[in-house]
Formats: sequence, C-alpha cells, structure tokens
Amino acid sequence: MKYVFQFGIVWDHLPQLLEGAWLTLRLSLGAFALGFAVAVMLAFLRTAGPRGVRTAIAAYVEIIRNTPFLVQLFIIYFSLPALGIRMEAITAALVGMSINFSGYATEILRSGIEAVPKSQIEAGHSLGFTRMEIFRHIVAFPALRTVYPALASQFVLLMLGSSVVAAISAEELTAVTNSLQSTTFRAFEFYFVATAMYLAMALGSRVLLNALYWFVFERRQPLREAWSR
Amino acid sequence: MSRDFDWSAFLFLLGALRWTVVLSIIAFVGGGVGGLLLALMRTSPYRTLRWIASGYIGLLQGTPVLMQLFLAYYGLAVLTGLRIDPWPAVTLAFTLYAAAFLGEIWRGAIQAIPRQQWEAAAAIPLSPFAQLRHVILPQAMRIAIPPTVGFLVQLIKGTSIASIIGFVELTRAGQLIVNVTFQPMIVYPIIALLYFALCWPLSLLALRLERRIDAALGIGQPA
Amino acid sequence: MKRREMLIGTAIGGAAGVATLAAITQSNQAFAQTTPGAQPGAGGTLDRIIKEKKLRVTAEVTSPPFGILDKNNQPDGSEIATSRQLAKDLGVELELVQVTAPQRIPALLAGRADVAISSLSITFDRAKTVMFAPPHGALSIVIAGPKGKQIRNAEDMAGKKIGLTRATLEEATVPAIAPKSASLVMFDDIAATMQAMVSGQVDAAGMSAFAAKSVGDRNPKAEIENKFTVTTAYYAAAVRPGDFDLLQFLRTWVFLNKQKGVLAEIYQKYTQVALVDLPAM
Repeated sequence: MKYVFQFGIVWDHLPQLLEGAWLTLRLSLGAFALGFAVAVMLAFLRTAGPRGVRTAIAAYVEIIRNTPFLVQLFIIYFSLPALGIRMEAITAALVGMSINFSGYATEILRSGIEAVPKSQIEAGHSLGFTRMEIFRHIVAFPALRTVYPALASQFVLLMLGSSVVAAISAEELTAVTNSLQSTTFRAFEFYFVATAMYLAMALGSRVLLNALYWFVFERRQPLREAWSR
Repeated sequence: MSRDFDWSAFLFLLGALRWTVVLSIIAFVGGGVGGLLLALMRTSPYRTLRWIASGYIGLLQGTPVLMQLFLAYYGLAVLTGLRIDPWPAVTLAFTLYAAAFLGEIWRGAIQAIPRQQWEAAAAIPLSPFAQLRHVILPQAMRIAIPPTVGFLVQLIKGTSIASIIGFVELTRAGQLIVNVTFQPMIVYPIIALLYFALCWPLSLLALRLERRIDAALGIGQPA
Repeated sequence: MKRREMLIGTAIGGAAGVATLAAITQSNQAFAQTTPGAQPGAGGTLDRIIKEKKLRVTAEVTSPPFGILDKNNQPDGSEIATSRQLAKDLGVELELVQVTAPQRIPALLAGRADVAISSLSITFDRAKTVMFAPPHGALSIVIAGPKGKQIRNAEDMAGKKIGLTRATLEEATVPAIAPKSASLVMFDDIAATMQAMVSGQVDAAGMSAFAAKSVGDRNPKAEIENKFTVTTAYYAAAVRPGDFDLLQFLRTWVFLNKQKGVLAEIYQKYTQVALVDLPAM
C-alpha cells in the first residue's frame, strides 16, 4: 500500500500545535529562571560554604546528572503523592525541569567561578570586601561571561528535553502532537512538522542568546577600557 | 491482590537493565563509527562534505531525541516500505543521535590539535591520510576520551526515553512493575538507583581521565 | 602491528555492515511480498507467516485483564491467550511485540506486527486505517474513581480532572460528553492513567470496566468504583489494509472458535464474566 502523505490535516490543527509550542517555551524559560537562581546559590555554597554543605551539594548534582530526567519526573509526579505531595502535571513538569537544570547549571557555574584568577579574589580580600561582596562584584560577572556558551547550550538542551514531560501529561508540543496523531492516524506528518517546530525554536533560541551575549558582554567593553586608561 | 515488590520483580528489573546496556552499547559503537566519519568530514578541506556533516549534526542536535525516536519508529517504515522490527528501529534512532554528538566532540578534539602538528607531519612527508592516522588522531583521541565517556552517560540516560514507545528497557520495566505492585514510592527510586549505579562510575572515570589529560597537557589553575 | 589492527577492524566492520544489509534486505523482501501493489500474485502475509513459521502480534501488558504481567512477570491476559490460540491454530510460533495503547495500530501499520490483538474496539475512524476481523470480545468504557468523588453522570465531571489514555476508545468518546470545565488529562499508557487515578493526581479516569475493577481489586485502600458507563463496544483483531488473505483466515478462525466455545472460555477465564453473543461481521 502506497502511503499517501496528507500534510493538509496538520495545517488544520496548527493553532493547537502552536499552543503546545508556547507552553514548551514558557516551561523552558520558567525552568531556566528557577533553575538558574537555585544554581547560583548552590554554586556559591559549593565553592565557599562549610564542608558538609559542599558535600551535600556535590551529591545533589551527581544524583541529578546520573539519573534519567524521565525517571526524575516519574518520582515527582507518581511517587511523591504517596507522601502526600501532589501537584498538577504542569507544576510537576516545571519543578522537574528546574531541578534537572539546576544540577547541570550548578556544575557549569562552579567551573566558571573556579576559573576566575585567584589574584583577583586576593585583591578583593585586601581591599576589605566580605565574601558576599567579592562574589557579587569580582567573581560573578567574569564567571558568567566564561560559562555563557555552556549555559546557552544547556538552555537549548533544556528546551529540547522538555518534550519528555508529555509522559506525565503536560500538554506541551510533544503531548499535543501525540494526541493529534493518535486521533487522525497521520503520525508521520505530525511528527515531521513538530520536529520542524522544535528545530525552529532551537535555532531561534541560539540566535537570541548570541545577541544577548553581545548585548551584555561585548557592548560594555569600550566603557571598561576607557575606565582603565 | 496486588503483588508486593519482591525479589522476582527486582530480577525482572535487572533483566530489563540488560537491554538498556545492550541498546547503549550498540548505539555507542555504531554512533562511534558514524561520529568518526562526521568528524573527518567536518575537518576535511571539501566544502560540500563540511556542509553535509554540519547540517546533519545541527539537525540532530537541534531536535528532541524523543521526536527522533518517533520519526524512526513511525516514519521509516512509511518512507521506505521496509518492515522494521522494534530493535532495529530503536537502535538506528539512537545510533544516529550518538553519531551526531560524538562527531561534534571529536571534531572539537581534532581542531584542538595545533596547526604545527599538521605541518610537521606533512613535512616528514606523510600523506594527509597518514598524517591523520599517525599524528593527529592519536593525540585527538586522548583529548576526546573524557567528553566521550561523558556522552556515554548521556546516552545511557537517553535510552530511558524508549520506554515511551513501549520498548522494554529499564524504565519501562519499572512502569510495568509499578502497574502490578502500585508502589511507585519504592519502584521508581530503585530504578533511579540502578541507573545511578550504571552511570556514576562512568562519570567518575570521565572526571579522572580529564584530570590526567589536563595534567599531561600542562593545564593547571591560573595563578 | 597497527596494520593488523586496521585489517581486523575493517574485517569486523565490514562483516557487521554486510550482516545489517542482509537483515534489512531480508525484511524488505518479506515486506514487499506483503504489499499487493509491489508484487501481485507473489503470495501475501498469510503465506509469509506460514513460511517463516512465526506470527507477530501486538501485546499490551498494561491493560488488565486483556494484557497483564503474571506472577512470573510474563505477558498474559485474555488477548495474549487469544494470540496464543491463533498461533496454535496457524501452526506457527508466536512472537509478542510489546506496545503501549497509542502504539497498537502504528506497530501494525509499520509491519512490526502482522496482527493487532489488543482489545482494539471497532470504530469508524480505526476502520479507515486498518481492516477489522469479526469481533471476538466485548467491553464497556466507564468513568471510575475513588469513593469520595461524586460523579453520577457526565455533567458531574464539571471542574474535575479526568484521566484518559491516548488512542483508546475512552479518548475517542469521553471528550464528546465531558462538560467544558472538566479538565482532561492525557497519558501515553494505561498504566500511567491508572497510577494517576490511584495516587489522586486525577479525580477520576476513563477506562474499560474490567480495568477499573482490576485496579480496585489490587488497591482496596483506594476504594475505586465505577461512576457511570460511557459506552460499550466490541473489539476485534486488526490487520493491515490489503492483507485480505490474513483477514479471511481470521474470519474463519473467529467462526470456528466461536462454535467450539474457545473464545467464550478464554474470555470467561480472565474477565470472570460470560461472553455475550458475538455478532457476525
């Protein structure tokens, strides 16, 4: 039987697909924001905190990075209710994505922090800065600049990885595609278009992130050089 | 009438763990072959080859693995008219995925070798193929091993996605057991533990190799 | 020594490549034979199954009592027993292809299975993409949930979260009767829907009455009960469009096994309910 491609059906359902893609974007941005905030705290504590805390954070990072995201989601959505912790699918997806992202981001930020030359930090100490002030003014900006590419890649991975939350019924792009293809029996056409949409979002994100890098880190350079002259 | 999570259930999980490992190994080896090819294409002097390789890598790195799996599972049979059994379809999807990422890692490793190495090898003289084989690749391999091992961990975790299409690897086995015992609080953490037991040693290995190579190349902490 | 390594490596790689090509062209030939347009008169799927002595059937093991894992964690259930009977009557070996609910028809269409025997209810939409054999069983779809929730009819679903599995009869029928304020939560697998119901992530779920009973039996604490019936349906085996030879065999097979009472026996054993009078098709 020759398969007859019918992309017109996909076109009819485009609004639903766009709704799903919009949720994908919102989940990704939300998880990035939450995960990043947590990661900044954890990265700071990991490098400057007491020993017990540092080990605990290292364990947290290792557990997240060595277990599959899907299993983490199942634990949050299906296992936690047994302890009385219940949440909506979208909330569980957001929590899962944030925690997962924070694991990788903590590690990335930590390497960025450790890449800041020790001499800079010593200079800060000798000027009488507290640890917090050193972190904020001397370490943070250069560290961020160093790790920006890694973080940007991690964001794209986060967004592409969000497709897995369909398994716990969050209605983002993959879930919508699954529902539509199972009712119209046009699996290939729907998956093809959804994949193209993900690709567009991934490429678009990269372009925007590159522009952001230029805006935040490159544009200021002239000003800095003027300062140091 | 539900069964408790017992020894036989745990053995069932271990049996499925076997398939996770097999799938990962096949994809890793197959992806390794493809990745080497892609890395060579990307660093070749021929523009067409570079573009084809870049396009392939960009495509597979810019789309979700789950989508790639769906397309391989649904689309391949439809496009080619071939009857494709579950194992070939799933291993093909993960192999293509692994090839893209390994290709990118190895391209980076090859390009990290200083220009002088190429020039010195050419001056001996060695043909371009021999340059690669005797001078460049051995050095590139040492740089590439830590991130390659790191990717193996990603691959093993990635196979859990095959559960969504019903492929019985470790995660799916976990779902099946939970469906019988209704004890997600016990089963899913055990699944996580099994993956951790498989992945963490590899992660540690990658870290140790990286430190050794950094030391060998003289990369230390900046003063 | 390096040269020897390369030769050995190339030999292994070449062998692997040849083996893969052989496997693919083998299955290609087999598939070409099953598509009438490709090789008219060259023998169909039924012939291939008999020649290869192997029957591939879909098996959904998370849909009690049609498909379950027995106490040895092996596939069992009324549809799996039915598949075994079919393989036995054909005189071939049975290979079960494990699928989730949304994978039943795609696995069949992609050639991963030759027959889909996984409680596929007969609907118009499905009949447009597969060919159904005469029905060999019947089921009813209910909304089920824990005792506390009051859901006497479709309107009572207002404002509640109702779990459904994609690509099932409940997914096809419940949205039509659900009020706008009901929130329909879709899962990719019946197991996940059941989990969501038992753990309280949804207020109630749509599934077959048998499945609901099975969940209730296995979780007495959850106190699952049927709220109301949504629809009833007959289910049947399905084959790919064009596999008329296989379809005709299935027609004969259902007829004979209905006469001999085999279908009723299998049904009764797993569902604990007597099989209704099956209409011819």
